[in-house]
Parts: sequence; structure tokens; C-alpha cells
Amino acid sequence: MKKGKGEKNSMEDIASQVLDLAKKKGVENAEVFLLDSRELTIEIAGQEVENLKLAEEKGLGLRVISQHRLGYAYSSDLSEQALRKTIERAVDNARLVAEDVAWEVAEPGSRYRHLDLDDQEIRQKSLEDKISLAKELEKAALAFDSRVRQVEKSVYQDSSYCVSLYNTRGLKGNYQGAYCGLYGVVIGQEGEDAQTGFSMDFSLKYKELNPVRVGQEAGKKAVRMLGAQAMPSAKLPVVLDPYVMTGILGVLQTAFSGEAVLKGTSFLVGKEGQKVASSLVKIIDHGALEGRLGSSPFDSEGISTRETVLVKEGELQGFLHNLYTARKTGVVSTGNAVRASYKATPEVGTTNFYLEKGNISRQELLRGIRQGLYVTEVMGLHMANPISGDFSLGASGLLIENGELTRPIKGVAIAGNLQDLLMGIDAVADDLTFYVGSGAPTVRIQGLAISGK
Amino acid sequence: MEKREIREVLKKALNSGADFAELFWEQKEIVMVNCEENRIERINSGFDEGVGIRVMAGENTSYAFTNDLSFTRLLEVAETAGKGAQKKQDLLEIKDFYTPPSPLKLEIKKPPQEIEIEKKVQTVLEVNDAARQVDQRIRQVTVNYGDVRQKVTIANSDGVFVEDLRTRTRLSVHTVAAEGNLIQTGYHSLGGSQGFELLEENDPTQIAEIASQRAILMLSAKPAPSGKMPVVLAGKAGGTMVHEACGHGLEADLVQKGLSVYAGKKGQEVASPLITVVDDGLLSGKFGTTCYDDEGTPCEKNILIKQGVLENYMYDLRTAKQEGGKSTGNGRRESYQSRPLPRMRNTYIAPGKTDPEKIIKETKEGLLVTAMGGGQVNTLNGDYVFEVAEAYVIKDGEAIYPVRGATLTGNGPETLRLVELVGKDLGFTIGICGKEGQGVPVSDAQPTMAVRELVVGGTGGEFISEDKKIRRL
Repeated sequence: MKKGKGEKNSMEDIASQVLDLAKKKGVENAEVFLLDSRELTIEIAGQEVENLKLAEEKGLGLRVISQHRLGYAYSSDLSEQALRKTIERAVDNARLVAEDVAWEVAEPGSRYRHLDLDDQEIRQKSLEDKISLAKELEKAALAFDSRVRQVEKSVYQDSSYCVSLYNTRGLKGNYQGAYCGLYGVVIGQEGEDAQTGFSMDFSLKYKELNPVRVGQEAGKKAVRMLGAQAMPSAKLPVVLDPYVMTGILGVLQTAFSGEAVLKGTSFLVGKEGQKVASSLVKIIDHGALEGRLGSSPFDSEGISTRETVLVKEGELQGFLHNLYTARKTGVVSTGNAVRASYKATPEVGTTNFYLEKGNISRQELLRGIRQGLYVTEVMGLHMANPISGDFSLGASGLLIENGELTRPIKGVAIAGNLQDLLMGIDAVADDLTFYVGSGAPTVRIQGLAISGK
Repeated sequence: MEKREIREVLKKALNSGADFAELFWEQKEIVMVNCEENRIERINSGFDEGVGIRVMAGENTSYAFTNDLSFTRLLEVAETAGKGAQKKQDLLEIKDFYTPPSPLKLEIKKPPQEIEIEKKVQTVLEVNDAARQVDQRIRQVTVNYGDVRQKVTIANSDGVFVEDLRTRTRLSVHTVAAEGNLIQTGYHSLGGSQGFELLEENDPTQIAEIASQRAILMLSAKPAPSGKMPVVLAGKAGGTMVHEACGHGLEADLVQKGLSVYAGKKGQEVASPLITVVDDGLLSGKFGTTCYDDEGTPCEKNILIKQGVLENYMYDLRTAKQEGGKSTGNGRRESYQSRPLPRMRNTYIAPGKTDPEKIIKETKEGLLVTAMGGGQVNTLNGDYVFEVAEAYVIKDGEAIYPVRGATLTGNGPETLRLVELVGKDLGFTIGICGKEGQGVPVSDAQPTMAVRELVVGGTGGEFISEDKKIRRL
């Protein structure tokens, strides 16, 4: 299918047609979101392509505001008949939704910032080239250690997309982007004991992908857990590696949503200016960060993306907002309207969400721990309660003895409260690592309850 | 799309040399109504249509999908998919189309598409009111209603041609209760392969009441104890455990890759003789029920573990072919965007003979779990962790007080060996199973069961003595 100017025009034609028709139905404002995306996934097994997946998807999401009521509908069928039906449904839905003066569509603002999001290499590199990356990953993982039994998954993935946003206030936005990545899941085995190791690397630049590093890291993680045993219950210092801490940030992110604040479902409600974490903690959302996968010139409502510092020196600075929650709260949108696809309404979400790095190395962070647990994997994170902050996780990792990682530990549970965890951070390392749209460095927490055997 | 065109597309897909080609055409219409803060916040309607083309050659699978449904585009996509899986061999002929009969006929009495949106909104508001009326301490109520009409056409080079219409309706209620500094949540849901009659034959306000009562009960609950102890899983807690800790390990893709603790154990004793595990695609009206799976195989009842002995795994076409056997009708996918995988439908542990009351009475000391939350499992070794949404401490055969914040940590096969009593009841819960990121509707169930011992994690053990809950509102 031809790309470029012709395509863009036809998208704009569709959008203006829909906006005109919606206006004729008597709505005050309307907004059209169009997504056109392509995706490629290659899975290698035994140095052969086991699965190949090609995807192309196009669709439209329509929001209409009529008498302060918001209606939504979507369609993947962009024929005139389907679009008419979509408009009817959106208008119909708006009739029954509660009235709320805070609904609005964005006013056109200043020009959007240019971001380097569209690496042409991702679109241009041959399929063979991409396949060879996944093969290299598999090879590197198997070569890492004789106890690497099998590479469960060795995957290359990329995506390219075009986002268009138009509204009845004259806003017109359009950008293209692409990203690529590799991930590996590796199984280590010794006797009856089998353990998995996982590693991934996603980037905006094709050149930056390093299959050998990903394969080796997955191999290392699988092997080092072999022979893992339980440990006795204790209250000990706990070190969370960047992957685990990023996972915890993932649970925390809903607490920073302006929507959760409005609904009272965030444990951070009403705590602006108060200490919510140790003074070593700085948490940032930055939608315009060069080189990061969560970046875009504007958010899903057309608001320019920006940096929002959420926690500084442990003090809560504010929350993330889209147009609706901002207006409800009496602040301005932070450019955090996020849509999962054209099927979804723009909700408050994160862009690049991360815990800022500290200034000591991981080694220094571990030094001085007489006995502790270095956690590399947790189970049940999505079960942590974002409202109360309570969590109880299955954990595995490595025992720390006199500042050294000594032996693998599995089958323990760590329980606590997210707020106490944030307060208890007493060291942050300088190894900030991103996993797609969020990231964290290694952190140390003074004293968590570990229940073991 | 006509049959003739579908044949052409399949032919194109086989053009580079392959063993198998399949076309999956889906049209999906959805309606969702959401009520929060005592008002209708969102209504969303959508239409999504697309075609997925799968080509298999030896061990290789290639999958391509598009929602551009022009015939020329489909031929192009089929060709790309074919090239992705190619194998040098004589070109395969596409067999004449036939439709295998399904043992099940689903009768949708009230197709949701024929129910006015006003009626759905009214039901949601009634449920919201019912949840709030339970107790003054209920602070937040979220009600979600959804209905789906999914029409699929499945055709493959072996000649299978199936058209299937699936209708599902669901309702879920989340509640938040608060008292002083304490916040607790409750949840309950109802769903089935049924139309709007689901909400007329069942009283939806009861769902609301259960969700609210749970949140209120947890306000007065004590922190859960921690350590190893006997656990009674009540039937009404549903089958999260059997789905997560046992079911996934019986899916043939994981078994064949050696990623399951159950690999190579057909015919062996893997659980207590009291345990029979079934995956049944035919249970009338249940959330995971369909006439055909997503590969056009008629659904059936599949006995996985019979009196402790591993009988069978769950197969889709690909994994069945690999062993020279037949698909068990477990080939499912989220949408035209995903390739099918062996997936569960309605999975349960068959009821035993013991009176559930008696099981509690015979427990001297332990934990009674009456509602499960989410969970996670490592299929490779069977280790799991589950959240407990509602539980009681048992002492001398009686549930004496409710506890909160408990988790169950254990190992699937080991847990099924430690089952000592199985009740004659059976309680279902519904959910969306998310294997490999593909959500498919399922239900699961189990009778009341006594497990000799499980590791209970809680915040009420010896290490955190104070009740350190959040202060808010």
C-alpha cells in the first residue's frame, strides 16, 4: 500500500468528513483520532523462524460532546456507511451519559515540537536482517552456559505507525513513528531443577539493538537461579533490581493519575507538598524525552507533551492530567491523555515514567548489607492494591551476605505497603534502566518482612 | 466475502508451498456501559472487523492480519503470509468445504443488540443503587456492563468451513468501603454466553450486594496469619486455583515445549485420587462456552485428570497434528489479530461426595478461603501465588473471624496431591484469561476442598505486629 502524502490526505479527508457530519447532527464539538499501524514479530526456535507475524491495523475513534455530554464510538471500517453509523452511535451514547461541563476538546496551540521518532532503518531493513538478530540472540543465550537447556523465546519485534488527530476547534496533528526490540526467555536446567530467565531491549533506533547482550543476560538470569532454595522468615534489607522496581512503579503509576485522585482511589490524594517517599526519590513523567519509546509530539487529545516532576526529594509535586481531569482539578493538562488503541477513549496515562537515578554504583549500594535479599523477580505484582497500597508478592532472587550476592533464593513472600516501601528507600543506584515506557535504577529498602520456610 | 473468494485467498496462501492455510474472518460489535461516582460516566460502542491468515509449513507458522477487506488486499496479505512460512514441496490442493456438526446449539433468547441502550443503562443504575444501599460505609461503586456479538467465519485448506455467532453478556461490580483510616474493596461478577436474559434470569442487584458485603466484611477483618497451615478452599471461591495452577500446565503447547510440570506424565498419577479435572466447552450458557473453537473444531468435554491420573492435554490443531492426534476443540484466540493457541474454556474440579459444611467442621485449625483474587503461576515448575479476597480463620471446625491481606503460595501439582476432602458443591467464577497477552473469556469452578497445608502470606504474622493500613478520606 502506498504511503506518504496521498495517505495522509485521505486520512484528513475522512476526518473532516466525519467532523462535518457530526456537526450536522447538532453536536457542539467532536474529535477524530485515526491510527494506522504495522507490526512485525519474528520468533526463532532452533535457528529457524518458528513464528512470523505481520499485522496491519487502521481505525477511527470518535468523541462527540453534545450539551456537555460525551459520547464515544469506534470503527475499523472506514467506509462512508460505517462512518455514518459510528457517528450515530456516538451521538446516541452521548444522550445517556451524565452531564459534565468539564468535557472539552483541545484548542489548537503553538506548533508541536519535532521529535526524532521515525528511524527509517526500521522500515527499510530486510526481513532476513531482522531474522538474523533473533537468531543471534538465541545463539548467545545457548552459548552463555552449558546449563542453558533451551531458549523458550527469541523474538524480534517492530512497529511503525501514523497517528492523526483532528477536532472541530481546528486542531490538526499528525506524526509518524517506529520502534523495534528484542526479547528472550531462557530456561536453565540442572538435574530436576529448571528456572527461567528473561531479558529485553527496546529502542527507537535499529542500530542500537544488541542481540548478544540480550541473549547473554537472559542466559545469566536463568542459570544463576538454579539450585534456589527458600530462606527462613526474617525482616531484612531488600534490594530491588531495576526490572522489579520498574514493575513496582507500574503499580504506583495509577496513584499519580489525576483521575484516581478525583475518584479518591489514589493513596496520594491530598498529599501535595507532603513527604510521600524518602528524600532520595525523584519520580518523573516525560513525554518529550528524546530517544525514548514513550515520547510523542502531542498526547491523544492534541496537547503538547512535556516533563512533569511528580515527586522531588520525596515530596509529592502533583499529578498527571488529561484535559478532563485538569479542568476538574483546576489545573492545566500535563499532556498525559493516552489511548491504548483507536478503540479506547483517552485516559490519563504515563509516557516515559521513571525513577531518577542516584549517584552511587550498584556495588556501593550492596556494600554494607550484612544480610539481605536481592530481588530479581516478583510474582503477583498486578495483585497489589493500588488504592490501599498493600502488596504481598512471591519473590525470588539472591541472598546478600556482607555486600556480596551469594546464593539463589526462591519461594519467599514479601509483604508490605507501597507507601512504606517508598519511605523506606535508603539508597538509589546510578543504573537507571528503561523497559519500554518506564524505568528505574536499583534501589535498597531498609527492612521488609520476608516470609519464608 | 464469498466462499469462492475465500478459496482463492487460501490458494494464494499455499502458493509458496505449505502444509496448511486458514482464514479467520471476524466481525465484532461491542457495547460497554460504565457507572462510577453514582452516574453513567461512559458508554462506548464499537465495530471491529478483520481477517487473519495463518499458514503452517512443518514447524513454522506465519500469521498476517489486516482490516482492509478488499479482495485484492486479502490476496496480497495471503501471499505475504505464505512466503513467511514457505517450504519447498508440491502445492497442496484445497479440499472441498464441509461444516462439521457441533453437539451444541446455543440459544440466545434476547440478543443484546436488540435491547435498547436505555434498558442497559437502567440496569446498571439499579445495580449501582443496590450496592450503595448495603451500608453507609460503601464509598465507591463501579459498575461495568458489556455485551459482545462476535461473528466468525473460519475456513482452512483441510476443507473446514464454519460460521459461528457468539454472544456474551457480563456485569461486574467493584466496591470500596471506608471506615476511619481503613479502606477495603469488594468485587463480584456475572457473565455468560448468553444474551440480555442473563440479567433477567439472575438478579443483578444480588451481584451488587455480594460485592458490597465483601468490602464491608473486610473492614472488620483482622490481618491474615502467615506461615504453613491447613487451608479449606470454599466452592464459592471459584476455580482460580485449578485454572492457574493446574490448567495452564495441561495446555499442549506448553507440554510439547517441555514447559510444563505435567509434560510426559499421561497415564501417571499427578494428583490425589479425589481429583478429577475437566475442561468443558459445552456447558450451556457459561462464559467460556462456544459451539466451535476458533479453528472451526466443534467443542467437546475434555477430561484432563481422572481420579488423580493424567488422562489428556488440551490441544489445538497444530499441537494435535504434532502428535498425530485430534484437536480437543481448545484452539482459541482473542481476535482476528491473534493466532490460535490451546486455551481453556470452562475448567473445573469435579464435585466429590463430602458435605462442604463437614469439611470445615473437620478442620481443627486453618484458613477458610471464600473468595479468591488474582494470581500468577510459573507453568515450568508449577509454583503459584494467589491473592485471597475473602477469608476466615478456622478454629475447632468453625470459621471464627474474617481476615484480610492473605496470599496463598504453593505449587500446583503438590497442592492437588495434598487435597484430603472434596465437597459435593461446585462454584463458578468468570474471567478473561490472558495467556500470551491474548484475552479470552473463561469460567472456572471447584468444589469445597481441604488442602493439608499451604503457605499463607499475610501482614498479620509475627513480623509486622501493627495494623499499618492507609489513612485516607
